[in-house]
Amino acid sequence: MAADAADKADAGVDRPDAPDTALGRKLKLLSLWHLVGAAVSVMGILLARRSGDIELPWMPRYALQGFFSFAFVAHMASAYGVGARTRWARPLSLAVNYLLTLVAASATLHLFNAYQALGDFGEGLYKAFLPFVVICVGLLWVLLSGQMLAHRPTAVGPLRLRQAGWGLAGIASVWFVVKADPSGLISSIGETLTRPLALGAIALTFCAALATRLMWSRAAAKHFGSTRRVDEALSGLAFLSPNLLGFFIFFAFPLLFSLWVSFFDWDTTNTTRDFIGLENYIRALSLDFANSAQSNAGTEVLKSDYQVLANLDWFGQHWVVGARDVEFWLSLKNITVFLVLAVPLAVLPALVLSSVLASKLPGMKVFRTIYFVPSVAGVIGVSIVWGQMFDATIGWINYILDLLGISEAGQGRGWLTQPDTALLSMVIVFAWMSFGFNTVLYLAGHQAISKELYEAAEIDGANTWQIFRRITVPQLRNTTFYVVITTSILALQLFDIVWILARPIAGGPNFATQTPVLTLYQEAFTNNRQGYASALAWVLFVIIFSFTLFQFRRQRSEVSAGGVS
Amino acid sequence: MSVRRKGPRATIVRIVTYLCLVSVAVIVVFPFVVAFATSTKNSQDIFNYPPTLIPKEPQTIDPTEVALPDVDADADEPLPLYAFPDSDTQFALVDNDVSVAEFRPLDDVDRIIRLDVTSGEKTGEVVIIDGAEEDIFAIEVDGTTVEAYRSRLTSGGQFVSLDDPTDVRVELVNVVEPLQQFGPRLENFEEVLIEKDFGRSLTNTVLVTIAVVSGQILTSILGGYAFARIKFKGSGPLFLLYLGSVMVPFVVLIIPLFQLMLQVGWLDNLSALIIPFMFSAYGTFLMRQFFISIPIEIEEAALLDNASRWKILWRIMVPLARPATATLATFGFLYAWNSFFWPLVIINSGNPDGRVLSLALSTLGGRSSTDLNLVFAGAMVAMAPPILVFLFAQRYFVENSASSGLK
Repeated sequence: MAADAADKADAGVDRPDAPDTALGRKLKLLSLWHLVGAAVSVMGILLARRSGDIELPWMPRYALQGFFSFAFVAHMASAYGVGARTRWARPLSLAVNYLLTLVAASATLHLFNAYQALGDFGEGLYKAFLPFVVICVGLLWVLLSGQMLAHRPTAVGPLRLRQAGWGLAGIASVWFVVKADPSGLISSIGETLTRPLALGAIALTFCAALATRLMWSRAAAKHFGSTRRVDEALSGLAFLSPNLLGFFIFFAFPLLFSLWVSFFDWDTTNTTRDFIGLENYIRALSLDFANSAQSNAGTEVLKSDYQVLANLDWFGQHWVVGARDVEFWLSLKNITVFLVLAVPLAVLPALVLSSVLASKLPGMKVFRTIYFVPSVAGVIGVSIVWGQMFDATIGWINYILDLLGISEAGQGRGWLTQPDTALLSMVIVFAWMSFGFNTVLYLAGHQAISKELYEAAEIDGANTWQIFRRITVPQLRNTTFYVVITTSILALQLFDIVWILARPIAGGPNFATQTPVLTLYQEAFTNNRQGYASALAWVLFVIIFSFTLFQFRRQRSEVSAGGVS
Repeated sequence: MSVRRKGPRATIVRIVTYLCLVSVAVIVVFPFVVAFATSTKNSQDIFNYPPTLIPKEPQTIDPTEVALPDVDADADEPLPLYAFPDSDTQFALVDNDVSVAEFRPLDDVDRIIRLDVTSGEKTGEVVIIDGAEEDIFAIEVDGTTVEAYRSRLTSGGQFVSLDDPTDVRVELVNVVEPLQQFGPRLENFEEVLIEKDFGRSLTNTVLVTIAVVSGQILTSILGGYAFARIKFKGSGPLFLLYLGSVMVPFVVLIIPLFQLMLQVGWLDNLSALIIPFMFSAYGTFLMRQFFISIPIEIEEAALLDNASRWKILWRIMVPLARPATATLATFGFLYAWNSFFWPLVIINSGNPDGRVLSLALSTLGGRSSTDLNLVFAGAMVAMAPPILVFLFAQRYFVENSASSGLK
């Protein structure tokens, strides 16, 4: 938007070498601006180091120090570059001013308590939910009449409808504001406006935005001899920038930070932070095997600090397996069992059902829709529903088994309270939730199978089973592979279902449903061992990533072999 | 497969096929039906065994409607109806706190006869039961007089037959079968939305979802367009980085993101649920794929007219990209609406004002929960919007799921 306006303003300038006095003056101001910026940055560094009367948490403190140091260097370079009219001055100055605008704007929002106010906005929305719904209806109306207008641009009816929609939304907006009662918000804004720091932040945002606009203008581009390639690159980065910043702040930085934390003994409140190298990983993965003559041998035969994970009898010898983190190893065992049971149960029905749904019989779309519903309904609600289905005394599963004569009335099984069925119950819930999605994935695979294969098989007199076995399954090989891998990755991160369904506590009974993500959550947020939990996260990441990599390599080899996947 | 086949055998195959499909559909739909049924039951009905799908409420009768003996029942309250196994008529419980005497006939001490405390006359004789002396009463049962001793005094209900006002019986209330009728309790929804604070959670979820979805659409359109159409140094490697980020499971980011939110003071705040999720590598990928598929000539004409990239994007590309935007919106909606792990980590102080639906549901439906009907009403509130959105926008879901499987 800013660029557009600037374009228009400077459209008349087409002699790059002639000194444009207005631009020249502006650029001198810009140089000065950068010099001031550099000076302020030095002060910023000093302030952030001293951390003044406001004790900042360490992360913003370091971030501010880094930011100001960087800002100092960049400002100095920009000031020189703008003055000397070098080619790189424009991109650099643009970057500096743009980032400064964003940081200053975020700081302004912070000073105006905008982030906390989001919560209050939730409250306002609660108070004024009815007007909100009316606004939504009005906008929907506008959207629909817009669609109608697109078909018949001259029709009067839809036009009126659209106006009515806007009117409705407008009236409801006023109603919304009245109901939501923003007086608290307004008074708090007014109060903040009197604080010099807030005013300074607004001024800084404004100035930085002006400087960005100046440098973005076509006149400035000509002045600095910008090429089309650089212009393209700048606009590309500008378009990408919101996304890119989010990517770095909320993905790339946390990813690296989590690796860093995993080498520390680090608690939630940051009171302990000791570098311990690989100790977290060693603790998580340590196993000890001890051969014992007695079948009831326990911790005493293991190294100190190890607890019994399992007692095994191999070839007439008794082994005690110990681990330092028994819960984590148990969770790995559980998730392996879960994977082995849940993945076939979520994939095989999908394979069979998709083969039926792919036929052009009437009503197939309805079934496809029905099967898909569990995967969109939300795992918490679904788990709660299944919790009642599995209930020992009033649950439907036991009642149906009772009706079928499999179990006796009142003698029903406590599906979720017995260790041998708890995980199995969760397998069922998981498979129930995910098979419909997999069916749809398979349906896409079916579209890629050439119809001639089926026709040829029918001419040869193959029966349904033969067609399924010899044509459908082999042709869907790649889809199957994809489906199995994605389902496995989902299954490896099992958490929500366990959180709701496990009894009496998450992971119970007796660690039968302890999963790796649950262990991680408990370590990080119950035991406050964030360093150790990060190490667990990376172990899990490596496991999950190996699945992904497996799929990736296979896809690549398929492509290089000329196969269509 | 065997679409073109004809004949009786093919018909049977078809019927069997449909039966299989329907039975799977029943397995899929049944839990939702149970959820809906339970959400309309009252707090006694939920614990009945065998479980039923029909919400029931006690059948009652207005005391003024029937001729009843003048008993000390509160005449304003409707009287619940009961059935006795030996009688066809319905009985109204006119008083549920009368003194009841339990008699045991001497010739059959395991039998219990419950009568009004004033009935029965002492014969004067005594009998030794378990080492204690008990008076013997003469009581009237079914027209004959029986000798019995009084084993206990307790309180029970007084029942009056509707057909025969002289047939007054005394029995323990929990022994008799209450008559029930179809009666959905829709107040459950009101109760869960207002008293259990689900209304607030609902609006929080709506707010978070709208903010996340619109943020994702905006950043994804911008980023996707940049990746698709603008050549700049480093765009290739950056895009690979984006693709790679899709493979990183969210659990790896939980702890550092939590630390980040802790340090900027967003714990327990909706900002923490919104701002980190306004950027989507997946959405960027989706939009890029769509923009690439749009013929470049459309744009080149506009570029020659000296239109800026910004104008081209919003005037030409975005209107064309409506299907991809809809797909992104529906997926973003589902993700934001149903997300649970991150809210569980962030909204951790037990303050209900910051809760989103999934969190409120998991708190209300905890292991020790007894208000199953309310929990299920809450579950319906949480599950209905995504299901409805799916039903209306399923074209976008299904197509996109399909294409992700094909790539």
